[in-house]
Amino acid sequence: MGETESDTGKTDKTIFNTEETRFVVISWERWVEIASEVGQGNKMVRICFSSSIRQTLYPSARFVKYLQKPLPTKSSSSSSSSFSTTPLFLRPPIHSASFPDLKNWQDWAKHLALSVGPKFVEADNGPDADLLCRELKWLLQDAVVDDENDAGFVKLRADLEEMYALWTQRIEERRPFQYLVGCEHWRDLVLCVQEGVLIPRPETEHIVDMVEEVICEDEGMREGLWVDLGTGSGALAVGIGRMLGDGGRLIATDLSPVAGSVTAFNVRRYGLQDKVDVRLGSWFEPLQDVNGKPVGLVSNPPYIPGDHIFGLQAEVARHEPRIALDGGENGMDALLHLCEGAATLMKPGGFFALETNGEKQPEFLVDFMTSKMKGRFRDVRVVSDFAGVQRFVSGFCC
Amino acid sequence: MRSFLLKRSSLRPLLISQNPKPPNPVFHTSQSNSTYIYGSTIRDWMSSNGYSQINKYSNGYDRFVANSISTRCFSSQGAAVDEQQPKSSDGLTVDRIVSSGWAILEEGEGDWKSHAAAIAQSIQLIKRRLQWRKLMVRLEMLSVELNKPNIWDDPVHAGNISREHGSLLGKMKGVNGFERELLEHIDMLKLAKEENDAELELESMKALLNMRRSVKEKELEALLAGEQDPCSCFIEVQAGAGGTESMDWASMIMNMYKMWANNRGYKVTVVDEMAGEIAGIKRATIKVDGEYAFGYAKAEVGVHRLVRISPFDSGKRRHTSFAAVAVIPILGGSSSHFQINESDLRIERFRAGGAGGQHVNTTESAVRIIHIPTGVTATCQNERSQHQNKAMAMAVLQSRLDQLEMARQAQLNAQHTQSLTDISWGNQIRTYVLHPYRMVKDLRTNYEVSDPDSVLEGDIDGFILSFLSASLDKDEDNS
Repeated sequence: MGETESDTGKTDKTIFNTEETRFVVISWERWVEIASEVGQGNKMVRICFSSSIRQTLYPSARFVKYLQKPLPTKSSSSSSSSFSTTPLFLRPPIHSASFPDLKNWQDWAKHLALSVGPKFVEADNGPDADLLCRELKWLLQDAVVDDENDAGFVKLRADLEEMYALWTQRIEERRPFQYLVGCEHWRDLVLCVQEGVLIPRPETEHIVDMVEEVICEDEGMREGLWVDLGTGSGALAVGIGRMLGDGGRLIATDLSPVAGSVTAFNVRRYGLQDKVDVRLGSWFEPLQDVNGKPVGLVSNPPYIPGDHIFGLQAEVARHEPRIALDGGENGMDALLHLCEGAATLMKPGGFFALETNGEKQPEFLVDFMTSKMKGRFRDVRVVSDFAGVQRFVSGFCC
Repeated sequence: MRSFLLKRSSLRPLLISQNPKPPNPVFHTSQSNSTYIYGSTIRDWMSSNGYSQINKYSNGYDRFVANSISTRCFSSQGAAVDEQQPKSSDGLTVDRIVSSGWAILEEGEGDWKSHAAAIAQSIQLIKRRLQWRKLMVRLEMLSVELNKPNIWDDPVHAGNISREHGSLLGKMKGVNGFERELLEHIDMLKLAKEENDAELELESMKALLNMRRSVKEKELEALLAGEQDPCSCFIEVQAGAGGTESMDWASMIMNMYKMWANNRGYKVTVVDEMAGEIAGIKRATIKVDGEYAFGYAKAEVGVHRLVRISPFDSGKRRHTSFAAVAVIPILGGSSSHFQINESDLRIERFRAGGAGGQHVNTTESAVRIIHIPTGVTATCQNERSQHQNKAMAMAVLQSRLDQLEMARQAQLNAQHTQSLTDISWGNQIRTYVLHPYRMVKDLRTNYEVSDPDSVLEGDIDGFILSFLSASLDKDEDNS
């Protein structure tokens, strides 16, 4: 054991040294640093947890095995792909672990989750231990492949080392569970998500219900053009796209290229590529060619007042894209822009539904649409989410 | 003797008379010898069909089979049944075959009499399990109801009556079919012997043997002849008072059911689970999908008691804890459902308080639905989207309300008052002792096992089957 200088000049605690490998205990920040170097292919680094040693350690310490010699580039590229962004449940089950090892992982992860107690709830209304334990179950659900033939071993979609890394990120970094597994279950869909894309919220599920109601009343809507502005992961686009008839189309727009590619992925996964068009650009910009055509518009735009963002729970404030959350000084920037744009973009009689922060915004919007933009909209109303929060504003264009 | 006759005459007007010959009751005592052989063959059959655990407890199982048979021989001799029994050309009936005491030998040996006696006994057991006399009475009541000219004024009611009538008639015809088949085979055999037709004789023997096997299978099916038995179900476990120890017990019980269901090939989904602070669960609900899940699981309804040295007691004292189990059938599409009005529902979610929406990112998407008029609630938190949690909670709510409705109907309908589906939370049904000795004993049937570990690993079929048989026997005796 001893303090040694690493290549980057930082101090790591070495506990074991061979000609080829060096085992060290490092802090989390250090691990992030090293992990980012992996991609550059200059060094092979693996988090390394031996079950017997690990239990004697403080759970937040990471064992890292440095390979002193750089590996052939082929291996190093495969190591970086093991931290890829493919959602866990879609990766091939090429890894395996013995039952006891997996059980050890589970016990460790559960212990870590329980040690959180009410800490996160008290700090910023984050997850409690119960919820973390449930997430742990879901992580296993996504990572483990049921295969009874292989007695004693379990097939995994991520190797155990990555599983340790993922769960540590969940607890210590407050990395959202949905980013960990790369997906979010939303309505009856499984949507792929990754850093850079807002994780769809359950409240937003209700917009699809509202659209369904409208479509059921007026079958013509099923065959028309719909738009989803600021689509993010494409949740609304996929949810609504699946309800449209043969003639129905939907254009999903987003400013962020990451969101664009994630939406395209989700749209393809549900076989909607012929119905749903994904376009990059700010709000109405990519829609110039369809002016006057859309029969429906939905959006869950950023609506959080800018100075509230830092007070949000760590999962949101530290990890989700600010561009999808920050609605300017009072959170209304995007909402007002959408109202104005909708009036000119949409076909008369077209339906719109917008999500708001549920406080004063809906009231303000309704007032804005019925007085300032008098004559442009009808049947404007506030709709509650099912927690009873006045969440949505919906209506029709004149 | 007198009371028997009284009963017979009071039943007679209600019967559908298929074979209006004068009643010819035959009394006899049970033949302990043939009963014993019979007991061992059912066991062999069961072990060859995957019920191997019964072998381990053969004594207990034999005893209950023996009991059920010795009582059965008396009660099913009722004239009501005899009156309409099919007869062979020389007046032989199924009951007569049983009462002739022909030795029942293994399938491979013995003559036609052995097969015939085995089949006859199976038919009697099936009748008993179908609660034959009640079934006949009910069938007649339904026929009377169906013949009322104004029956279709209430189409829902009429549909229910006609469906039940059809299902009971099917069961009755099935059993009568077996009786006729058996006697036809016997007639054919006798004919073949008279005519010295070796080929026909061999063929008839073969047919008799096949029938012996198939009727054996029907015995088990007859245990699960209830209207809801084929349904999937929810199993709910609730920890009793006593803190961590009883919460741990509740989770052990829940585990037992999960493993049991898995072993049976049922699909298990956790619907709702409320973890204890230190260990175990306060309550949990699982959904068990598969044929006859309810039929079997209904035998588990009641309070389960554990006696052991608690691992949560530093003083290493012996503790007794309780967990209550409820089982709710999930009615299929054809059954009549309780109509839920959307406006009667209050839907609550358990998301972290505050603003919601973009402000909050939580995977917590639990949903609770309250049916305001009845106060019945359902919670689901284990699905990964709110939408799915709501759908699952609605399914649970629907089943609970269906069950409530069935209980209400049952009170109107005396036939169902002793129904197995009644939840009797106060009813202690089974004790699991891990210390100072090791035993699991069912308090309803006295069926017991000296290996609690295997039971807690889901090996509960012995308990279930013994309870199902015993409860049907009891019902028939009371009637």
